[in-house]
Amino acid sequence: MSAAAGQPPEPDGLALLGPGVTAASVTDHVAGIVIARPSPRFWWLAFGLGFLLMMLLLASIAWILVRGVGVWGVNVPVAWGFAIVNFVWWIGIGHAGTLISAILLLMKQTWRNSINRFAEAMTLFAVACAGMFPLLHLGRPQVFYWLFPYPDTMNLWPQWRSPLVWDVFAVTTYGIVSLVFWYVGLVPDLATIRDRADQPWKQRLFGIFALGWRNSALHWRRHQSLYLLLAALATPLVASVHSIVGLDFAISIVPGWHSTVFPPYFVAGAIFSGFAMVLTLIIPIRAVYGLHTYITGRHLDFMARVMLATGLMVSYGYLSEAFFAYYSGSRYENYMMLNRALGPFAPAFWALILCNVAAIQFLWLGRVRRGPLALFLISIVINIGMWLERFVIVITSLHRDYLPSAWGDYNATRWDWATFLGTLGFFLACMFLFIRFVPLLSIYELREMVHARAEHGGNA
Amino acid sequence: MTAAEAHPAPRRPPTSMHGRDNWTSLADLARSPEFRDRIEREFPRHAALWESGLDRRRFLELAAASLALGGLSACVQQPPEPIVPYVIQPELVTPGIPLYFATTLLRDGLGIGAIAESHEGRPTKIEGNPNHPASLGAADAIMQAEILTLYDPDRAATVLREGRIAAWADFTAWLHGESAAWRPSAGRGLRLLTGPISSPSLLALIARWLEQFPAARWHVHSPLRPAAALEPFAPLYHVERAERIVALDCDFLLNGPASLAHARRFIDGRRVRADRPRMNRLYALESRPTLTGANADQHWTLPPPALELAVARLAALVGVPGAAPALDWPAGADWLPIVARDLLDHPARSLIVADERLSPEARALCNAINQRLGAAGATLDWIPNPAPPPEDGSLAALAEAMRAGEVDTLFILDCNPVHTSPADFNFADLLRRVRRRVCLGLYHDETAALCHWHIPRAHELESWGDARAFDGTISTIQPLIAPLYGGRTPLELLALMTGENGMSDYDRVRAHWAAAAPGADFDARWRRWLHDGVFEGTALPAAAGPAPADPAAALAALDRRRADAVPARLHLLFEPDPALLDGRYANNGWLMELPRPITKLTWDNAALIAPATARRLGLASRQVVELTLRGRSLRVPVWIVPGHAADCVTLPFGFGRERAGRVGDGVGVDAYRLRFADTPWWTAGLELTPTNERYPLACTQDHFRMHERAPVREATLAEFIQTRGEIAPGHGDPPAQEPSLLPEFPYDGCKWGMAIDLTACIGCNACVAACQAENNIPVVGREQVALGREMHWLRIDRYYTGDLHQPDTAFQPLACVHCEHAPCEVVCPVAATVHDAEGLNLMVYNRCIGTRYCSNNCPYKVRRFNFLQYTDRVTESLKLMRNPEVTVRNRGVMEKCTYCIQRISRARHAALREGRAIGADDVHTACQAACPTRAITFGDLNHPGAEVNQWKAEPHNYDLLGDLNTRPRTSYLARIRNPHDELDADRSQSG
Repeated sequence: MSAAAGQPPEPDGLALLGPGVTAASVTDHVAGIVIARPSPRFWWLAFGLGFLLMMLLLASIAWILVRGVGVWGVNVPVAWGFAIVNFVWWIGIGHAGTLISAILLLMKQTWRNSINRFAEAMTLFAVACAGMFPLLHLGRPQVFYWLFPYPDTMNLWPQWRSPLVWDVFAVTTYGIVSLVFWYVGLVPDLATIRDRADQPWKQRLFGIFALGWRNSALHWRRHQSLYLLLAALATPLVASVHSIVGLDFAISIVPGWHSTVFPPYFVAGAIFSGFAMVLTLIIPIRAVYGLHTYITGRHLDFMARVMLATGLMVSYGYLSEAFFAYYSGSRYENYMMLNRALGPFAPAFWALILCNVAAIQFLWLGRVRRGPLALFLISIVINIGMWLERFVIVITSLHRDYLPSAWGDYNATRWDWATFLGTLGFFLACMFLFIRFVPLLSIYELREMVHARAEHGGNA
Repeated sequence: MTAAEAHPAPRRPPTSMHGRDNWTSLADLARSPEFRDRIEREFPRHAALWESGLDRRRFLELAAASLALGGLSACVQQPPEPIVPYVIQPELVTPGIPLYFATTLLRDGLGIGAIAESHEGRPTKIEGNPNHPASLGAADAIMQAEILTLYDPDRAATVLREGRIAAWADFTAWLHGESAAWRPSAGRGLRLLTGPISSPSLLALIARWLEQFPAARWHVHSPLRPAAALEPFAPLYHVERAERIVALDCDFLLNGPASLAHARRFIDGRRVRADRPRMNRLYALESRPTLTGANADQHWTLPPPALELAVARLAALVGVPGAAPALDWPAGADWLPIVARDLLDHPARSLIVADERLSPEARALCNAINQRLGAAGATLDWIPNPAPPPEDGSLAALAEAMRAGEVDTLFILDCNPVHTSPADFNFADLLRRVRRRVCLGLYHDETAALCHWHIPRAHELESWGDARAFDGTISTIQPLIAPLYGGRTPLELLALMTGENGMSDYDRVRAHWAAAAPGADFDARWRRWLHDGVFEGTALPAAAGPAPADPAAALAALDRRRADAVPARLHLLFEPDPALLDGRYANNGWLMELPRPITKLTWDNAALIAPATARRLGLASRQVVELTLRGRSLRVPVWIVPGHAADCVTLPFGFGRERAGRVGDGVGVDAYRLRFADTPWWTAGLELTPTNERYPLACTQDHFRMHERAPVREATLAEFIQTRGEIAPGHGDPPAQEPSLLPEFPYDGCKWGMAIDLTACIGCNACVAACQAENNIPVVGREQVALGREMHWLRIDRYYTGDLHQPDTAFQPLACVHCEHAPCEVVCPVAATVHDAEGLNLMVYNRCIGTRYCSNNCPYKVRRFNFLQYTDRVTESLKLMRNPEVTVRNRGVMEKCTYCIQRISRARHAALREGRAIGADDVHTACQAACPTRAITFGDLNHPGAEVNQWKAEPHNYDLLGDLNTRPRTSYLARIRNPHDELDADRSQSG
């Protein structure tokens, strides 16, 4: 439902498009970011930081491949450590893109048009970061392809009962569909850049990727139906990927993992953290590139509402986990919950409650939802909280399970941190390359909005 | 299935009904309908391919696809390694079939019979020799680890003269010249220092040497038994005849050359079964937690002086004449009378066990108690010391002579006095005053470094020799392999010193026995001795034993020391490290990394203190303290041990070596620096100063409470009898087998299973070391253990119940339990861990990619992961050591107990060859074979005769975590203890 229909015009800050935006100004502004030379200092600083951390990632990967996965702090009983925590965290972040692009598109939420391109790019890079971890964490990463059902000479296939196999399919499907969806949406805008570029190599490069887009009505018709089809295809993936990541844990018999609440609770958590990451990135970028006219307080408000809703679902998840740990009557489950709250990792648990349950209560206030600074801070807190949540789930469940004799401890090593920070750098570097070389807002969809506003005289 | 069915004979090409058809070419034959038919039957999937005819296009397509797919699976290139068969096959050797030889390993000079497994001339595994009284078929952790010592790349590899490489001929020439110079003075200034020696042939050589050089002297040094090694008599305990045993600060189940026999005999008296609910009873009084105390039915923790007073009081209570005044002494007022009554109720069937940790006076009282209880001749005999010591041949006497400058030439055979002698001797300084110093040893150790000559010693597995067991039984030492590093035996060196060289050790030993046991059938007997490893009927006869001391005098001496019983300051106690002994195994990685039975510490010693003392002094585990005694000090980390006597610090010795080798150098703290000649076992007057430093001690088990999970189920004998053994359901678990919609898998052939009797397990680690040796398990090092990455497939969990002051300790060996519903199998994404048709949970190393989900999902946490490249792929000598029947694992794969699948395969092959089924007793896992107390049984659950089925039918058999419906193949028999009913009720208040 369009936000404008039949309602009085909202105050300026709450419109989906700023005043004075025309079709031409959208194109000029957004294409200009790609075409402009040289890059602004902010871009160099942010990209440089990302690049440096990415080098740290390369060093960590090299060291892991040379020495083995033992450079991390994993052990028995805590055989999964930061790698899996980071994997789940990144995959969760990668959820916002598809949700915004596909589900909101199908639900005709036009406010998504300002942020979908950006969120999709973020999804792609987050999935790339996520995808690294399960591979690096293998004892023998060189044989990762055994996870795929390729026709092997011994007639061996993957073991289909293992959720890790489902995971491989879920994540690769999600990655591919996200990439295709993102690229298909990009084609008209790439053609715009091609036409506006002032250097031959840029014209040629963008020309290649624009796939000969000529802006004909036929093109548009085919493009739109493909886009909608892909959106329909991507929609179930939003639920499936993180459900299966949840099943990675829920299928096991580890107290703290073996829980039916995991799939829905993981999906809610993923959307929660995905929106938090979109906000963390878009608020400063909006300020630097002056995108206030496209990403308005109204957008922030919408995203904050989604965060609040999913955050409450996650809180409900925590509550039901605790309740069923008690209600199960199982001494292992009881102890697991007590150990989370009072054991050696209790600080992580209470910090996560503070971040994910307490901090989001501020979002009930409209002022906070529309205030960029407050929202930025809360989004960062939520990012941290969601990372802690995965840490608590993975580590505290494993470190004390059934037999007290086998209970252990977990300490992340410097390489654990280096790999994690490295993926943050990789993500940052990719994001800024994207901002520099690809239109970061969807030009044609924004122009549609401008057109619709002119046509209907509405707000959007 | 018979062999013929399993391997159908190759069939001939089919012929037509009309006799032989001639075919002119292969193509001709291939076109025949019979051949087509046969191809179709044999390769139904390829028949279509054959029918359709393979055209060039299709062929190229297939070839390209195969090439591409082949590339996928061929990313690891194997190095080319030529395989060269024997040109001349040695007698008896069949490649791939191991041979077994009886031999003997030495423990502080006394023999323990062993059977060594040899693969194409390489000894790879030690088993116990069932014929030998000190082994009875078992082999403890140290015996298992001898294999690693044999192949240790750090062993001395060459003769050294003043640190420079020399030839053996140089040494013989030198010695020849020297011995000529000894003759005129009859060997004045000539000294020989050895460890305890029980070898009759070596003793005879030493006697002849002393005859040749009457002024020469022989000294014996044993850091493990400094006093007992010099005593003319040794006690021989008949544990099997004792129904009531009191161990007085004596770890007779773990320590010493008789411990395997003691453990077996002790446990034989307490194998509780539903139809035989009978047990002996062991009381232990101890100053620091020991394995004996942990296995006692009742134990009390007392500081050493109080313990001695308790001995005196016990003497008075059982009615030792003249001991009556001790009745008023403070220790154990409430429980000692009950113990005494229990002992008196079992005359001639009770036994007091004590060793030299007690003062001579207290030991005299022990002898008197044993006398009073009628133990002598029933449960206790005295025999001449099987390692007879020289007269006045103590280390102190040698040190005195060295200090006086009377020692001109010193031969040191296989002992390391520079490291192990009492601190007040300053042996290194004394040694430097000796003009000519010769040392024979396995390693270029602290002593060798100060000697002019160092001769590498041959390992027992490289030597000929003989030895006596603790009871005097003689056995042979047979070499399994030629000396790897050109080592020489003590026999060879002594023979050179007496001028009897020119003979091989084999001839020397054989000649000795040909002379000592002459007879026409000597050749036949000799062969039988070598085969059996034991000279039957050579146990030493009982002797009169030490003269009885006057109890009153002993009591008076103890009375004078009563003031010490309330310590003004801390007491310092010593004990040998359970794995490294006196330090001689410090370069053995298996033993270094063996979790110590009580502390579960690896790779370090620590100052062990009681929780109460730690609280009083404000100390925490891993905190470094400075221990000061008589002006010498030592910095050592603290480890808090429940069940330790208050205000006492135990410091195990054997660590802190400076010249052990790459593994042992600088590991731990050298406790000998505080061990003085007059106080070898405990002393008062220790000062302890805490520091702020912390040291990362590596412990394999941090949590010792059972947290209401009852992994070890326990009951007293009275409860066992009362409930007719049905003690397990009392813990409120659901039935072990939950209903399932799926049909059971039919196990038509074998169905392997294991049962472990927790009453019998004493926690000694023999199984852990045996598993390591059998299954090529790598050593990971202190840092990796501290991270929780030890690789032992089999671990022994230790739990405490009761109060921290003197808790009950329970041990539980735990390896993969081979669940019927294995949680690991469902979560592996590549099917690297699967169930086989005999019920084994297999680990397919080649297929493992290392997701480690199986380990997370294993509720027993028995899976081990190669986080780094733990297996040493470089050192050549270690390659010889490995069991060729077990895959050597590399980085990145999961591993775990296989139920010794290689042994199952060997039994299956043997059965197949002989056309029979696998017998009930054909397969012994390595842990089972090594166990001194036979606490583990393994077998085919489908075989009615298998012992494992009898065990599993016992009412106190239970599954660990059975409520998870994993249905483990390994089950446990609950731990039954036999406390005195009067003491059991108020146990928590006493002590």
